[in-house]
This record gives sequence, structure tokens and C-alpha cells, in this order.
Amino acid sequence: MKRIGTYLWVVFATLLIVSCVEEQDFNQYDDLSVTPTYEASVLYLEVPERSINQLTGTNVYSRDFNFDAFSEDVFSKRVIEGVLTYEVENTTSKPLEVEIRFLDEAGTVLDTEQFVLGPEPTAVLINETYYGPYGEDINIIKNTSSIFVTATNLGDTSSTSSQENPMVTLKSSAKFKVRIKE
Amino acid sequence: MIARKYFIITALWAGLFVHAQNKQLLYDFTEVPQALMINPGMETDFSWYAGIPALSGISFQAGSSGISVNDIFADDGLDINDKVRDRAIYGMSIQDELSGTYQVEIFNGGFRGKDPSVFYSFGLYNEGDAIGYWFRDYAILGYEGNADRLNQRFDLSHLKTRGEMLNVFHFGVNKKVSSDLILGARGKIYSSIFDFNSVNNDGYFVTTEGENNVYASTLNADLELRTSGVNAIDHALDDDNVPATIIKRGLFGGNLGLGVDLGFTYYLNPQTVVTGSLLDLGFIYHANDVENFSLQGEATIEGMEIILPDALSDPNQDFWQNLVDDVEGFIPFEKETTGYLTFRPTKLYGSIRYNFGEPMQGSAQCDCDYRTSGKGPNAVKYRNSIGGQLYVINRPRGPQSAITAFYQRRFGNFMAMKATYTADKFTFTNIGLGASIQVGPVNFYLMADNLLAYRNIADSNYTSFQFGLNIISWGKK
Repeated sequence: MKRIGTYLWVVFATLLIVSCVEEQDFNQYDDLSVTPTYEASVLYLEVPERSINQLTGTNVYSRDFNFDAFSEDVFSKRVIEGVLTYEVENTTSKPLEVEIRFLDEAGTVLDTEQFVLGPEPTAVLINETYYGPYGEDINIIKNTSSIFVTATNLGDTSSTSSQENPMVTLKSSAKFKVRIKE
Repeated sequence: MIARKYFIITALWAGLFVHAQNKQLLYDFTEVPQALMINPGMETDFSWYAGIPALSGISFQAGSSGISVNDIFADDGLDINDKVRDRAIYGMSIQDELSGTYQVEIFNGGFRGKDPSVFYSFGLYNEGDAIGYWFRDYAILGYEGNADRLNQRFDLSHLKTRGEMLNVFHFGVNKKVSSDLILGARGKIYSSIFDFNSVNNDGYFVTTEGENNVYASTLNADLELRTSGVNAIDHALDDDNVPATIIKRGLFGGNLGLGVDLGFTYYLNPQTVVTGSLLDLGFIYHANDVENFSLQGEATIEGMEIILPDALSDPNQDFWQNLVDDVEGFIPFEKETTGYLTFRPTKLYGSIRYNFGEPMQGSAQCDCDYRTSGKGPNAVKYRNSIGGQLYVINRPRGPQSAITAFYQRRFGNFMAMKATYTADKFTFTNIGLGASIQVGPVNFYLMADNLLAYRNIADSNYTSFQFGLNIISWGKK
């Protein structure tokens, strides 16, 4: 009986004594990189032809928009690279120019996107602008505080498109990689 | 600040890695008084016992069912980014948990009544218990983002966690109803120090093709976090008086609740025993220092939308701020202080035990032998016992269970040992060993399980231990 007790104790003690930890390398944590990529729509502009025809002069629309999405610390301090995609379509009867300017807090123009569209029928114009190591300076995005949009009529104000519900539209989306952990 | 850092690290660690402990080694280990805490209807033969304050019962358990430290940090030459992605982000399911518990007895004692068939026990212990299930879709969204995942819904119900720290005052009665049956009950008063829970979440985040713009981002949220006492601890961290705050809230200065433990032991025949217990059938009502946070509603956005001629109506409107205001209006983040009720994680134990080998006289005085039990506590014990146990605990994602096979050996009245094999969601190779040593009136017990994992502790999904020190008397012989 004593032998069994001794034996059990020996087993217990042995298990505790031989317990060990295989070599772990906690410095690997430094190599962990967490860089998710997020995408969402940014700006949608829609100008029907009837609105253009009601205006006098060539300036269809011109407006400075507050846009803090890019300059919020949670984004601007973490963004690494990304792309802004624009899809512009004109189904009106007149040629148009759409211009987007990115402005910083002081109103300085950081970047400009320009789209010149012929009268209908036109294909959808798609433009992608890359920011980051292999494209435009990422600081343009980080410092953007407002967007200035201008639509200019390069044609007349009386013609009417043959398309159903004619208008000029600008769609845009952003797809950016951010660094959560170095 | 240092105290805050350590407290937060400890709380997070406890919340993430620490779960309600299956005390399969201690269960029905009748030589140890603390076994009464997990079956108030246990067979007892003590005249009285007194736990050494703060040392009579200390137990700790940690488990992670989906991953181990070794899975991520083993020095195996693999890229940690691949290991995190394959083994954690996509390797774990929402059923996987990081959880645990600890329990420290502050004082514990027991005595036999004038009626020798009745044994009373009482005490106070501090307990912490927390569980966090793997929040898989949140992790994917945080680790990889939503890009190129059109129409994929990120399920917000994956956030499910709860945790608490409390003191428990208890008083138990154990009665030998007949020579075959022992019943027991323990009343409990819970004094909650702090509590947090976020278990009834629902909703999703999804990116779809937009109606006007390229993408539509939709957030449908029904999220809630309820807390009590957390604010008090936070203020205590600022004022550097955490111990005083914990003691005050633990001594009826926080939130209170009531509960009961029930248990029985029944002899099918002189050598075969079935036992069962139901623990922490109780609740706590949180009304003191409550802070509840919610995010409820639905919003779909397609970026800033400027549609003429409507956009010309107000030349000064701030489209960006309007967008932010709309989202906050549709999905308001609210804080309120309404009281709430929590139910304790109820546990169920059951066992069947077959005793064999040479019967021997126990430590207690009685007019009994192995064929005839006396009026006092059942004192005849067999040298060997073999049997099986069942453990079930109520958890936020439903009951969790474990089954155990055990062998127990008694070496006179000096020592008893118990070996267990347990299978549960954490491991199928859990072998445990426990021992109780009696030297005169001094009783010491030590128990540890998942011993095979000690070959490489870093690769263990589960570990636990418990030990304690008591003074026991069986009365004059």
C-alpha cells in the first residue's frame, strides 16, 4: 500500500518536474502586421439636364464641401495607400467639364481631378488615382479637409438629349489600406 | 498610472483567459471539507473544521478552446502573420472561448450540530469569473477590412462576453436523512464588486452595390454593454484606492443577490453511491453604479450625395455634417443607468461511484462498521473507488459539459488520492491528480489537472490547480 502511495507521489512529482515549455519567441509580435483595407463610397453628384438648361452662363455648379472623413485622426494617422475611383457619365446633349479639387484646412489646393465629357452618347468614364508609395503623395489624402466641385457647361442651354432622364453623374469610391499595428 | 495599467492588464487577462472551473478532482473528495462547496449534500464525517483564513481554498483555472500560446509564438520559423490569419482569425470558430475563473476562500468553517446527523458549514469567498467567445467577424473586419467583400455580412452577434468579481457569503446545512441518503443545501448572498456583460448582441455590417453611388454601406446594430461597479473601479484607479473600493463593494457596498446550492448523496447499495449537486442557482440585481451603453438602429450610406436642383435650396448646408448627423440619428449611441438583473452561471454535477477493496474505519467516532451504519456520520470507507462524473455549466452560448472518469485510493486515514480523466471542449487528454494529506488535525490538499500538457505548457489549452489548508477534528475517539 505504501508502495502505491509512493508511486503516485513519484508520478505527481515527476510530472511537475518534467513540465516544460517549448521555446517561444515572443519577439515575433514585432513582426505582426495588421493592415486591413476598407472601401466605401465618397461623393455622388447628379445634375439633370433640365437644371443645366435653367441656368444662365456656363457655371452649372460650384461648391466647396466640408469633408472631414480623410482628415480624422483615426484615418489620417493610419492610412498607408489606396485608390480613389471615379465613374463619370454624361447623358445630356452638351459637353461638360467636371473638376474636383482637394483642399487642406487653409484652402490650399492639394490635388485636382478633371473630367471632360462630350455630349451624349458617351461611355462611362472611369478614372482611378492611386495614392501612396506607387502613386500620388498620400499626404494629399491625409490633409484633405474639403472638396471643391465645379461643373461647367461647355455647350448651350437649350438643347435636349434624346436619352431618357438625361443627366451628368459623378460616382466615387475610396479603397484605402490602414495600419492598425506596425 | 502603474496601478491602472496592471489592473487593466489583469482584468483583461482575467476576462480573456480565465472560466468557471470544473472541479472534477475536488468533487465528492470527502476527505476535503471544501468538497462541501460543490456538493452541499456530500457525505461528511467531520466533527468540525476550520479553514486557515485565505489559505483554505485557492483555485484557479484558465482555458482557451481554440488556440494556445504555442500556436502563435512557437519558434517554428513560420511567419506570425500566417499563423495569426490561419490559426486565430480563420482558425477559431464563434464557439471557441477564452475564459476562466479563480476563487479564494477568505474564511470557511463547519461544525456538527447537537443532532449528529446535521453538519453546518459557512464562510466567505471571493470569486472572479469571465468568458469571451471568439468575435470572428469583428476580427476579420479589423484584420482584413471590408474591401473586395461585396455582400458579405459581418455578424455583430459574434460579440459575446461577460465577467464579474464578487464576494459570496454562504451558510450550508448537510443532513444525513437516512443510512442511504444525505441531503444538503447552501444559501448564498452575493455581493457584486463589478460586473460587465454584452451577450444579447445582434446586427450586421455589409457593403453592397449602391443605388446611386458605387457602394452602399449598411450598419444594422443592436448592441448593448451593461456594467456595474466598473465606473467605481475606474475612479478608484484614479484615486489610487482600488483595494479599499473592492473591499467596500465586496462587503455589501455594491450590488446584492441571492442564490442557493442543492446536493445529495444516495447509496444504491453499501458500495455504490450516486451524487448530484446544482450550484449557484441565483441572481444579482445591479442597481448601484450602473452604466449601460447601447447602439441600436440601422443606416445605409452611399457617401455625400449632391443631387441638383435640391442641393441648391440651401447654399450653406454642410453635407458632411448632415451625413454624420443622419447616421448618429439612425443609430444613436446611448448611455443610461437603469438597473439590470444577471443570473449566475449555474453548474450541475453528478456522479456514480463504486467502492471496493477492504473496508476501513473512518476517522469519525461512531457505532458502526461496514455492514451497519451508526447514528452519526457515515464513517466506513473503502480503500478504492471508481466511477464517473458529469459537469454542466450554463454559458452565454448554451450549456457546456464535461465528463470524467476517476479512480480514488485511500491510504488509511493519512492520505487519499484521486486520479481523473476528463474530456471537454478544451481537451480530450485531460488527466488530473489530487491528493489530500492528513497529519494530525492538519489537512492539506493539492490538485492539478491537464498534467500531460505540462510537457509543453505553452501548447496547453487548459490548466487549473487548487490547494488549501484546514484544521479538521473528528471529535474524541
